[in-house]
Amino acid sequence: MKIEGTHELRAARERVWQSLVDPSVLQRCIPGCERLEQTGENSYSTILRAGVGSIKGVFQGNVRLEDLRPPAHYRLVVDGKGQPGFLKGAGELELEEMGEGLTVIKYAGDVQVGGTIASVGQRMIQGAAKMMASQFFTALEAEAQTQAGEPPPQHGFFRTALRWLSGLLRRIMRGSK
Amino acid sequence: MIPAQFDYVAPVTLDEALSLLAEHQDEAKILAGGHSLIPAMKLRFAQPALLVDIGRLKDLAYIREEGGQVRVGAMTTHYQLESSARLREICPLLPECAAAIGDVQVRNKGTIGGSLAHSDPAADWPAAILALDAEMIVVSAVGERAIPASDFFVDMLTTALAPNEILREIRVPLPPPRTGHAYAKLPHPASGFAVVGVAASVTRGADGTCESASVGVTGVSVKAYRARGVELALKGGALGQQEIAGAATHAADGVDLNEDLAASADYRRHLAEVYARRAIERAASRVS
Repeated sequence: MKIEGTHELRAARERVWQSLVDPSVLQRCIPGCERLEQTGENSYSTILRAGVGSIKGVFQGNVRLEDLRPPAHYRLVVDGKGQPGFLKGAGELELEEMGEGLTVIKYAGDVQVGGTIASVGQRMIQGAAKMMASQFFTALEAEAQTQAGEPPPQHGFFRTALRWLSGLLRRIMRGSK
Repeated sequence: MIPAQFDYVAPVTLDEALSLLAEHQDEAKILAGGHSLIPAMKLRFAQPALLVDIGRLKDLAYIREEGGQVRVGAMTTHYQLESSARLREICPLLPECAAAIGDVQVRNKGTIGGSLAHSDPAADWPAAILALDAEMIVVSAVGERAIPASDFFVDMLTTALAPNEILREIRVPLPPPRTGHAYAKLPHPASGFAVVGVAASVTRGADGTCESASVGVTGVSVKAYRARGVELALKGGALGQQEIAGAATHAADGVDLNEDLAASADYRRHLAEVYARRAIERAASRVS
């Protein structure tokens, strides 16, 4: 199964890249990631409680980053298995700077899914993968927007909206003085 | 095919069910007809710690006319909707859609509320509920609120329902005069789910042109949606074959298309157009 898409992040490419290679950031951003431990250079073991709605499964797996070309590209290799089935695949991530503070991530990968989830839930796998990718990039955007060392926002979107609003209000107040 | 361990409660009042949800939140899951949840539990895709069976809340199964609306209790079965003679007269899209669901067994046990709350991306009800511009009445221990159908379906298997809320009633505005409905569906050969399903509601003006149209589409994307492009193209125009075929080309505009073994994204886009055309043609031909 092919999974591909693009996602726009309102953050500088440098910051997005740093977030994408920081295991603690990844653990917070990957939906349902309960553990992400480094097992070697650029390789990690993980436990994911992944799913959509009430349908969920626990997966154990390995993640490896290859072909790192900061801050523009890496290749992600994953394999995992769990009670609902197994998955194995690889994908490329490209980060493109589209002007000040705007990064476009293009991702394209090929994933093999097997086991019960593939035989029964086949029609939903692609949609679920897209949904989780979109959750991941939304969380990643919020992380990348904070400065290094600053605590990450608890509720990315609302915090971002609030910040934008308060900034706007400040500008308006200054303008009226 | 044996579910993981879970606790089971069968409350006899809605308040009791709501307080259980308030207490257990995400850990609890409402069991209605059980024709989506139980198979998922048997495969262990869903492992709720607590099942709150609302099957004993018999006063949640009803079809009423009130305040210019058809009000359907969430625990009304597909079969009850399919077989209602009164509905066939005043809101025929509901029985037509119900008849297209699964098989006899599913229709006898499955409920409209359960199907909507589960929000399977290929379920039939969401298409009809969207085309009818219905309203969902949801309750929690702290109160009640109404959610328009177009805001109810959020994402795949995800609705606007909070973990402490129960869908209590579906309110369908009575269709205005000179309105025709239809539901056109390509069922998956094994599961009966909609590979593509399109529900259309078309209201003609006094001169026979299209006064308004609403079109709900299921099976095509991660959630059911209103095909606004189609509706806009139909509005104010004649309802001839050519006009309808032209409008139907917008059936999958702006949506992320599903892709699976049954249909590729391109094939689904094509099917959405074909089934939109069929549903609208049939709806328009039914306006007396």
